[in-house]
Amino acid sequence: MLTQPNQLSTPEKYTEEELVAGLLQHDNAAYQHLYMYYRGSLFNTILQLIPEKETASDVLQEVFITVWQQIDKYDKNKGRLFTWLVRLTRNAAINKLRSKIYKSQAKNESLDHYVTSLENNQPQTVNTNSIGLRQQVHQLREDYKNVIELSYYNGFTQEEIAKALNIPLGTVKTRLRSALLELRKQFV
Amino acid sequence: MDIKEYIASGIIETYVMGLCSPDEERELEQLRLQYPELNNAIIIYEKQMEKNMLQQSTLPSDAVDNRILSALDNMNKTEAKIISLPNKKQNWWKFVAAAAVVLLMISAGLNYYLYRQTKKPIVANTPTLPPGDYQVMTNPTITPVAMYGVAPHAICRCTMFWDKKTGKMYIMIHHLPQSSSAKDYQLWAMVDGKPVSVGIVQDEIRGRFIEMNNVPAGANSFIVTLENAGGNTTPTESETYLKGVI
Repeated sequence: MLTQPNQLSTPEKYTEEELVAGLLQHDNAAYQHLYMYYRGSLFNTILQLIPEKETASDVLQEVFITVWQQIDKYDKNKGRLFTWLVRLTRNAAINKLRSKIYKSQAKNESLDHYVTSLENNQPQTVNTNSIGLRQQVHQLREDYKNVIELSYYNGFTQEEIAKALNIPLGTVKTRLRSALLELRKQFV
Repeated sequence: MDIKEYIASGIIETYVMGLCSPDEERELEQLRLQYPELNNAIIIYEKQMEKNMLQQSTLPSDAVDNRILSALDNMNKTEAKIISLPNKKQNWWKFVAAAAVVLLMISAGLNYYLYRQTKKPIVANTPTLPPGDYQVMTNPTITPVAMYGVAPHAICRCTMFWDKKTGKMYIMIHHLPQSSSAKDYQLWAMVDGKPVSVGIVQDEIRGRFIEMNNVPAGANSFIVTLENAGGNTTPTESETYLKGVI
């Protein structure tokens, strides 16, 4: 936590609008600023899914290159820049977890595997060195924790979760929403 | 649709975290255009999540920093190279063919445009604002308040629509510099000559109404000041940006 500022987004020097404008123009200074400002939080997000620092660093690089390539797809009417960055980051990390090369190195990451480990009440791979959203999720009650684990951290759709846990889709929806409302109470 | 119930249902949290089904996502994106309070609530949650996550930080090593920063730097160089590749010998007929295609497209476009022009109704009365915002503006019980810039910010402008029945205020920013992360704009209502805080103005919302609640009924003028993030208990008068009298 050396240089990570504590205040809310819209980084110093740039307002969010100015930053996005700079990113769209592929302005080097804007990308440097984006990286320096958000790297700590995004790296932490990746580490929560992929604890190996080397692989996590590769994913971090992929994320920023993707921002460079796809910034024109960012729609400010659909959300703040950070929300979009987190979404890209989570997708990149989940894709890495699912990729063949990674899978051959790590254990099987199929939905069945997750459900089995949930049933056996075994903790998922969590990097205990970093404090983050996932630790906050793990404070939640069991059934709430499970739906967030499966959806947010493993990228399964609500339908897939309903089938895997053998519960109605409506229950998955309600559980997910209640879980996220509960999680929100833990936000600082 | 009971929008309050919808806002409290957890759908916003599900949307922001990217966990909605495509149907839920479409519905919410449609509804946020209709209901400024929903739009507000989404932004408030996004900011909360952002604050929460920015405090959870692990820095990569210096080597990783350098690698990624130079990779980003190289993106522009690679791009520039592609653009500036020297043209090989070109045949003149290729240019002629390309020019012909371009001319044909312009002509087709112009034809279509002129065709559309003749078909346009004389009175265009379709609201271009999102439906919810349009309703605010046309609501007959609403009192509009023009807010003018106060020197040295004379250039600033916004319009507020005050619904005295519900105590809600809808603010449309026309010109106001965006507040930095360390500062917030705060709206004050003047009641019997005394300022009463109405709340922080979410000034990053542009082109849409910003909704404020609990505007005191007895207010006869309003000011907007720039305060330290989170707002102040009394307005800093030297930082007054906008003023409006009913």
